Amino acid sequence: MTPQELLYTEEHEWIEPGKSPARFGISDYAQGELTDVVFVELPEEGAEFAKGEVIATLESVKATSDVYAPADGKIAAVNSDLEDNPQKINEDPYGDGWLVEIEISDPAPLEELMDYEAYRKYLDNRDE
Amino acid sequence: MKLIFEKSVPGREGYSLPADQFEEIPLESCIPKEFQGKKRELVEVSEVEVVRHFTRLSKLNYGIEDGLYPLGSCTMKYNPKVSEHLAVLDRFVLAHPFAPADLVQGSLKLIHDLGVMLGRITGMDAYTLAPAAGAHGELTGVLIIRKYFEDQGERRIKMLVPDSAHGTNPASSAMAGYRVVELKSNQEGTVDLEELEKAMDSQAAGLMLTNPNTVGKFDPRIDRIAAIVHERGGLLYYDGANLNATLGLLRPGDTGFDVVHLNLHKTFGTPHGGGGPGAGPVGVKEFLRPYLPSPVVVFDGEKYRLRDPGEKSIGMMRAFVANFSVLLKAYAWILSLGPEGLREASEAAVVNANYLLVKLRDHFRPAYGGYCAHECVLTGRDYKQHGIKTLDIAKRLMDYGYYPPTIYFPHFKPYAEETLMVEAPESEGKEVIDDFIAAMIQIAGEAESEPGLLLEAPRSTPIRRTDDVLAARRPVLHYDDELKLKAGE
Amino acid sequence: MRFIPNTESVRREMLAEIGVASFEELISAIPESVRFRGDLDIPGPLSESELLQEVSALSRRNGDFARLKPLVGAGAYRHYVPKAVGALLSREEFYTAYTPYQPELSQGTLQAVFEYQSFLARLTGMEAIIPSIYDGASAAAEAALMALRLSKKNRILVSSALHPHYRSTIETYAAPHRTELIEIPCREGLTDPVRLEELLGEETAAVIVQSPNFYGGIEPVAELAAAARNRSVLFIQVVAEALSLALLQAPGELEVDILAGEAQSLGMELDFGGPYNGFLGARKKYLRQLPGRIVGETEDRDGKRAFVMTARAREQDIRREKATSCICSNHGLNILASAVYLSLLGTEGLYRTALLNTRGAHYLEEKLAGSGKFERVFGFPFFNEFVLRSREPMVEVREKLLAGGFIPPLGLGSYLGDETLAGTALFAVTEILSRNDLDLVVELLAK
Repeated sequence: MTPQELLYTEEHEWIEPGKSPARFGISDYAQGELTDVVFVELPEEGAEFAKGEVIATLESVKATSDVYAPADGKIAAVNSDLEDNPQKINEDPYGDGWLVEIEISDPAPLEELMDYEAYRKYLDNRDE
Repeated sequence: MKLIFEKSVPGREGYSLPADQFEEIPLESCIPKEFQGKKRELVEVSEVEVVRHFTRLSKLNYGIEDGLYPLGSCTMKYNPKVSEHLAVLDRFVLAHPFAPADLVQGSLKLIHDLGVMLGRITGMDAYTLAPAAGAHGELTGVLIIRKYFEDQGERRIKMLVPDSAHGTNPASSAMAGYRVVELKSNQEGTVDLEELEKAMDSQAAGLMLTNPNTVGKFDPRIDRIAAIVHERGGLLYYDGANLNATLGLLRPGDTGFDVVHLNLHKTFGTPHGGGGPGAGPVGVKEFLRPYLPSPVVVFDGEKYRLRDPGEKSIGMMRAFVANFSVLLKAYAWILSLGPEGLREASEAAVVNANYLLVKLRDHFRPAYGGYCAHECVLTGRDYKQHGIKTLDIAKRLMDYGYYPPTIYFPHFKPYAEETLMVEAPESEGKEVIDDFIAAMIQIAGEAESEPGLLLEAPRSTPIRRTDDVLAARRPVLHYDDELKLKAGE
Repeated sequence: MRFIPNTESVRREMLAEIGVASFEELISAIPESVRFRGDLDIPGPLSESELLQEVSALSRRNGDFARLKPLVGAGAYRHYVPKAVGALLSREEFYTAYTPYQPELSQGTLQAVFEYQSFLARLTGMEAIIPSIYDGASAAAEAALMALRLSKKNRILVSSALHPHYRSTIETYAAPHRTELIEIPCREGLTDPVRLEELLGEETAAVIVQSPNFYGGIEPVAELAAAARNRSVLFIQVVAEALSLALLQAPGELEVDILAGEAQSLGMELDFGGPYNGFLGARKKYLRQLPGRIVGETEDRDGKRAFVMTARAREQDIRREKATSCICSNHGLNILASAVYLSLLGTEGLYRTALLNTRGAHYLEEKLAGSGKFERVFGFPFFNEFVLRSREPMVEVREKLLAGGFIPPLGLGSYLGDETLAGTALFAVTEILSRNDLDLVVELLAK
């Protein structure tokens, strides 16, 4: 999906709408803030998460950043390519840089997420 | 520069050993074949080559004797030569930790007496000199607090830590099993009393505080802070990282602190060693004495002995009593200065820092207003518009022959960003500081007129800026990793 | 004061430039109620010559350790440290420098650490080496906490032949984490593999075994590690006498997951117990869970080889309460001591030193056990430490040795508070003791 089609959290994560399992990753803005990702800690396939739990941890040289589950669900797939190529998160955050696919058990919280336009405005307000 | 491994030539020797006088004993009769490993290949280099190798390496470093080392929070003061001499006296340096007490009365008395002196300097009742470093002292201190509350049958699960604290404070608290609650600082960079009132509840074990704090400020409400923490049954922990501003002026023990850790390698003139060894003694008030780690040195009026403090003790923090040679150097430093000298040292450090602050504040906007303690926090935020980060300013200082100040610490929003923390301890004279100020002002000018000089800096150092991303993404952690990488494995 | 260059008049000048009338104005933020106004009740100031006299006098209250040779080890070993080690360590560029945060001005320290990591990787066979935790005991404790994080379980099995001080340190570190430490009993002075099997369970996070163990015995590490691995339990080996690594199998080849060691034997004096230097070894895949600093190789802007501290996001200054440890300053200069020591001794020197140790130890053990005055307590293979039971009271053994110029071995009965070990002593023999010295010991004790 293109960035315009995705849903966004206030923590700068994206998820594919209307799908389960849905792909999940971090936004272009987030990867820019984090700078070069050097290491990614991903969950195991089959692991279950409640909304708001730490699902993955991204590490740059000078910071680490936790990524939170956008809704309750189970990990259907992980992008294990990132273990050897964490730079894909910086190079292609909406494509090859996806983190996991989540089988959503309760889609309700996703309705609260921002669409592309709303997220863009959210970022604009933030920078001010 | 080549690695020592790349200088190895088969057959060269750098060692001298007595002839093997037990040759009739076959190795197999000592260690059965199934436990023997293959011979480890290290290097084969002659003594002169080893000496040259490490001498050359040393020249790639910058030490205090090369010039000003204005690292804020680190107190890079002169390390007296006499201390190095004393620390290698045979009778001290060859003492075995399990030697009979009769044979180590000198070592034990030194540890005992240093504890007493530190107690008087900081206003605390009892000291352990076991902790090997500041953070080890923190862990010891927080474990003492934990054990104390357990003993009182009180369940307190949180530790309060200001957002300005060193990372070691939250890390030590977490290691000691506490949930860390971060307290937002106020606009002056000190503890926000309202925040403290809110957070300091019956679940909180206490507050870890650095005073003067990491933004270089004495907390003007320290009396009130102590009262709030104590009224609610908490304990007050003193992080001694900045003790160099306080000698003879302010004793944490008089201020309400229950537990204190010191960094002998900061305040008490022992060398930093390129990353240690230091020592992190912990002092406590009388009611916490039983919780000190094992062993403690006691004097029975006749002899000094090592003793286990009993069942309330938190236990051991390390295998043996202390970092002895570090203690010896601190002892020598204190005796060299005496009571007046200690106060003069802190006063001089505070004057130096404020002089730096005043002379540089028009060029590097301070993070906070007012005077500072023994270090000042400036910022490089005005140069962002020229595409210059504080990092670039720091790197440019190297071209002027200085080790840079501490950068990006403290770092918390919104006040302390793009920070440069400068500290010129008492061992630095005015001319040295004036030269440094001139260099800083010149760099400020360059940032506006020739930012390229900063962005390309340093150019005069043994290496230029490093690719830290490459290092982290492709870990080469020893020589064999490098060989594999070269072989394309 | 010779360490404070600014004179009273310079100070006044500086205060005027700052714009204050007195020093007191600068510290007016300190509430008067807590301000210290007295004189610190400490001695001094002493001139340098007075200080030398004072401290030398104190040192003379100690024994003459240049003459007294230790027959005791138990975690601290007197080996010969070549003079070049001390000479290089006393270069100010090394000993006065700070932690190498700015790599451009710290390549000396950083490369030396990298070389040390390289030496240790070869000695231990471990993929990643953390060069400095304070000492062996705290390294073992950090290894235990790391195993709790990796496994997310809370039971640790600890060999009863682990150095008691290491055991106590692990207990201290583990106490806040609701960890259950369970002792694996010994048989004949070695960790009992049958009891280990019985104790291994679902909740077990790790097994900790020291080899050579506290009594000197070489443990069957391969067998014990395999037992742990079969149950998916992490195996932690502790090494307190690092010189043994020169002769024994590399832990990395024995499927040890985490190695916690003490490097004092590699270039450090006894120094009454410290500073020594602990280290950790682990598989590379555990790098992110390791505590403490590590140096990695990279390139500078011009493509030149350079060294930096790496995998830094584990550390307290970045990760705060989520850091893998609070450790900050470690024992950096001791890393350098070992790097120089290992460079000097090299492949042959280290091997031969280790041979001298084990042969000397077996020579003495044989002579004493054969004298009829001592008997063997355990039958295990050992490197340079062993346990004998004296038929004479230990007090007399100690007296004779002290009179003859030796620091006596550690009496285990009183040290461990174990009746069954009354009259036994833990002897250590290093290359410091010549054949003549050992013959003298035999003379003193067995004739």
